[in-house]
Amino acid sequence: MLSPERLALPDYEYLAQRHVLTYMEDAVCQLLENKEDISQYGIARFFTEYFNSVCQGTHILFREFSFIQATPHNRASFLRAFWRCFRTVGKNGDLLTMREYHCLLQLLCPDFPLELTQKAARIVLMDDAMDCLMSFSDFLFAFQIQFYYSEFLESVAAIYQDLLSGKNPNTVIVPTSSSGQHRQRPTLGEASVLEGVEASLFYQCLENLCDRHKYSCPPPALVKEVLSNVQRLTFYGFLVALSKHHGINQALGALPDKGDLMHDPAMDEALERLLVQIPGLVNSVTASPEASCLPSRTPPRVGSPWRPLHHARKLDAESDGSTEETDESET
Amino acid sequence: MVTPSGCSGDDPVRSLTLRGSGASEADAAGLLGRSPAMIPGKYRSVSGRAASNVNCGLHLVIQTSSLPEKNKVEFKLNKETPSFPGRLLQHDLERNYSSRQGDGRVISPSPRNKSSCISSTTNGTEPCGLEMKTTTSSLPAFGDSSIQTPSKSRIRQGCHSAGPNVSGDHINLVSSSMPSFPILQRSSEEKILYSDRLTLERQKLTVCPVIDGEEHLRLLNFQHNFITRIQNISNLQRLIFLDLYDNQIEEISGLSTLRSLRVLLLGKNRIKKISNLENLKNLDVLDLHGNQITKIENVSHLCDLRVLNLARNLLSHVDNLNGLDSLTELNLRHNQITFVRDVDNLPCLQRLFLSFNNISTFESVCCLADSTSLSDITFDGNPIAQESWYKHTVLQNMMQLRQLDMKRVTEEERRMASVVAKKEEEKKRESQKQSLLKEKKRLTINNVARRWDLQQHRISNIAADQDGRDSDSPSQDPCQNAGSTVSAFQEETGSLDSGLTSALQGLSVTDTHLVEVDGDTLSLYGSGALECLDRNWSVQTAGMVTTVSFTFIEFDEIVQVLPKLKLKFPNSLHLKFKETNLVMLQQFNALAQLRRVDQLTVDPQGNPVVNFILWKYYVLFRLSHFSMQKINGTEVTQNDMIMAERLFGILAHVASSELPPYRLISVLGDARKKQFQCLLETKGRKPGIVSEENDNSKRLAGENTNRAALHYTTRDLYHEKLEEIKEKKKFCKMYIEDLVKEATEINMKNEALQKLWPQMFIELVRDAVIEVRNKNSYMKLCLQHITDQK
Repeated sequence: MLSPERLALPDYEYLAQRHVLTYMEDAVCQLLENKEDISQYGIARFFTEYFNSVCQGTHILFREFSFIQATPHNRASFLRAFWRCFRTVGKNGDLLTMREYHCLLQLLCPDFPLELTQKAARIVLMDDAMDCLMSFSDFLFAFQIQFYYSEFLESVAAIYQDLLSGKNPNTVIVPTSSSGQHRQRPTLGEASVLEGVEASLFYQCLENLCDRHKYSCPPPALVKEVLSNVQRLTFYGFLVALSKHHGINQALGALPDKGDLMHDPAMDEALERLLVQIPGLVNSVTASPEASCLPSRTPPRVGSPWRPLHHARKLDAESDGSTEETDESET
Repeated sequence: MVTPSGCSGDDPVRSLTLRGSGASEADAAGLLGRSPAMIPGKYRSVSGRAASNVNCGLHLVIQTSSLPEKNKVEFKLNKETPSFPGRLLQHDLERNYSSRQGDGRVISPSPRNKSSCISSTTNGTEPCGLEMKTTTSSLPAFGDSSIQTPSKSRIRQGCHSAGPNVSGDHINLVSSSMPSFPILQRSSEEKILYSDRLTLERQKLTVCPVIDGEEHLRLLNFQHNFITRIQNISNLQRLIFLDLYDNQIEEISGLSTLRSLRVLLLGKNRIKKISNLENLKNLDVLDLHGNQITKIENVSHLCDLRVLNLARNLLSHVDNLNGLDSLTELNLRHNQITFVRDVDNLPCLQRLFLSFNNISTFESVCCLADSTSLSDITFDGNPIAQESWYKHTVLQNMMQLRQLDMKRVTEEERRMASVVAKKEEEKKRESQKQSLLKEKKRLTINNVARRWDLQQHRISNIAADQDGRDSDSPSQDPCQNAGSTVSAFQEETGSLDSGLTSALQGLSVTDTHLVEVDGDTLSLYGSGALECLDRNWSVQTAGMVTTVSFTFIEFDEIVQVLPKLKLKFPNSLHLKFKETNLVMLQQFNALAQLRRVDQLTVDPQGNPVVNFILWKYYVLFRLSHFSMQKINGTEVTQNDMIMAERLFGILAHVASSELPPYRLISVLGDARKKQFQCLLETKGRKPGIVSEENDNSKRLAGENTNRAALHYTTRDLYHEKLEEIKEKKKFCKMYIEDLVKEATEINMKNEALQKLWPQMFIELVRDAVIEVRNKNSYMKLCLQHITDQK
């Protein structure tokens, strides 16, 4: 209430902009939905719990997609929840396909759209290799960018297209819902000469966009940092760079740094407690939980379209911490 | 053989041995009126022996009634005497019984005949005046009888070893030096005595002698000679009986003039072909046994033929029997017959002998079943007789049969046969039914598969559409999957269609689902099949079913019936899913509500989720309270369990510990409500089960609360829920909007008031001060006020 913006805006708009209204609406909605249960222990208690869970970021668990994407806070909370719940999958070293990641997402949000997952996978993978395997961290960071900055990226894609076609994008920016589709990569002939757009020009446009954009966008300073390293870059090069940028990850605040991605002592502890509870389990697990090399899993993959070539490449990419996309962006 | 009751000239009945060896010869001797004294010793002894072991007498007997018209040989082969044809036919059979193994030469051993034989032999004192002259004529055929040569001795010699009936004393055979025919002449008294018969047995004849002046002959016997060609008898146009048994005839010929011939005996010759019988329209008995005939032909005009003997020939099959309208007995023993046809075209056939042939299936003789007259049949010595089904099959198919393989068919046997046949028929019908059912099942499944494919296509199309315009819709599995299943099933379709009857096809079109209980497996095909869970299953069936298999059913539809499944089939331990469109891990959540699941089999076909490496662990994790033993046929190890827990344990932990309490309660409330419902539904059962249920619910509530939050709502339900939420949201939005607007308005007024208030206060105070400044006027005013009030 004391922020200076509060004075600049009428109350209603202020509340709406800060998503207070969203949460109030949702709280009432939840109250309506569970009114029988809630009436047993008091409405005051319910509101306390509700806003507590909003603060903790646990309010998005198993909620519908429309709610999960409703606010930046919800998005960040979802990202965090996804990381926490499925960190173990990444820890196990499994490489999964886009569809499998999608399935995991659906465990948390039953109506999570495939389209978003596909877009995130496109950041990691080449166009023609959409059914390849991805490491957990690659997917997670790409997914973070795609999910959190979804609207921003659409606008960026539009700008990028305009720049590619030589228009001055500063005049008008119309983010269209279908903008995610246009990602024509330059033909080979062009590519050898000029690939992508000039970074400085691109930055100007983005800065402009960030100023006006009503949705969340990455901090302009960090975008500038990303773009200042290179002369030219492609759209996907830009996305990859964004997804790999520590600063942006930190600014977003949902996920730990890449190095710490597998560390979550609190959860590990909880997991160990759970493991002990497995009926008839010998104590070997508790004795050396970290050392226990989990059984290599090679379940039969019927009709799997996985390509061993990509598999190997992916592993390499993971080991040196960069993907092809990055290389591409640096050229 | 004739029943020779007295052979005296005035005896009304004359008996005649037609053929035979042993007793038959003796008979013949007697019949021909030879006195024992006149028979050479050898023959006497033979006749004696014959008298003593008469058991095989000769049978074909021609009774001549000499009383009314003495000279007329009358055939008593009349149809009214049933014994005659039978006896005649038996002679061939006889051969097998008798120790002699003769070539089926005649002879019925019936007691009546025996006695008559004896009598004929013993009474055979009648003088036989048979004179024979061997005439060697220069003429080819009917040699001149005047030329006579004294070749007596030679003939005598021949006579010696030949039949006893011809004695050199009485017969003069006159032969010429030219290679010609002997001419036979008899003495006149003999001619008178036996004007109608002539026997030339065992005369070593190589040709037929010219028989002159015997135009009245009715019976002619050339048994046991070496005749190669039938000749010189065309003048004997009144001949009724011709016996050429045991000669060397190679072709049937020279008979065209013998229009009266009724009995023709050509057994044991070298005939290769049935021919030249065109004019013998009256033929009654035709004996061709022991020849080399390979096929039945040229007999269709013999409409009076009653007996046909073709035993011991080279027949490979039986047909061409049309036109033999009177045939009552057909002897085909000892051929190489493999199949029989046309027998059903023989309206009078009563006895058929097919022993010792090469018949191996009943189908090859099935025309016999169509014969209404057949009463006696033999198949012994055929491969068919070795079969276990032989007897009852034959009896069942030929109800009219009285004798089979020489044994009377008893009522008991007939009953047995019909019982066995009925059983077999039933079995056949049953198996037919089975195969029909099987076929129907295949068709139905095929049909269900087709519908499924169609549906899948439609769904995936819709999904694609939705993906296109509405990013909120959970997308289905991709078309590539649908495509692959379609191709797989089209193959199947092709192979199925080839074997279909149109009727079945008509049936199948309407069937959209299939329910099958096979042992302990309940198989459901097509979504319609889920309705069967509403049916009342017998306790036994329900208790037996431990495996439930779903095919071509949308998983979401299965989810809706799971509570029913749990109730109706409490023992189901093994669930199988094939083509059920399992695409998401969360779908497995739905299975958690079942009572017990030991095994889970998810076929990769039509269930893309199986391609995910994590699916097994997720199943283990989510359904850990079942302690499953097998997943897709693979034993679940402890490592698997640990792995599952490691991978998804945190999810459960987060779900249970971090879900806001109000939501946890609602989620668990659902689960608890369900359990409660279950309890209500199962309260009729044994208390043990209920308490177990309680334990279960406790366990569920305790150990597995953390998992209960992971539940699955089917897509339709979920969409409904989303709609509902949308509605609620709309309402909430409006409500909050109003509230907030009101609040902000109040706030604004309040702020405005706050702003005005200090000034207002000062003004108010100032006004008050001004008012009380003039004390007197104020007092006056006050007093005035009080008085006014009064």
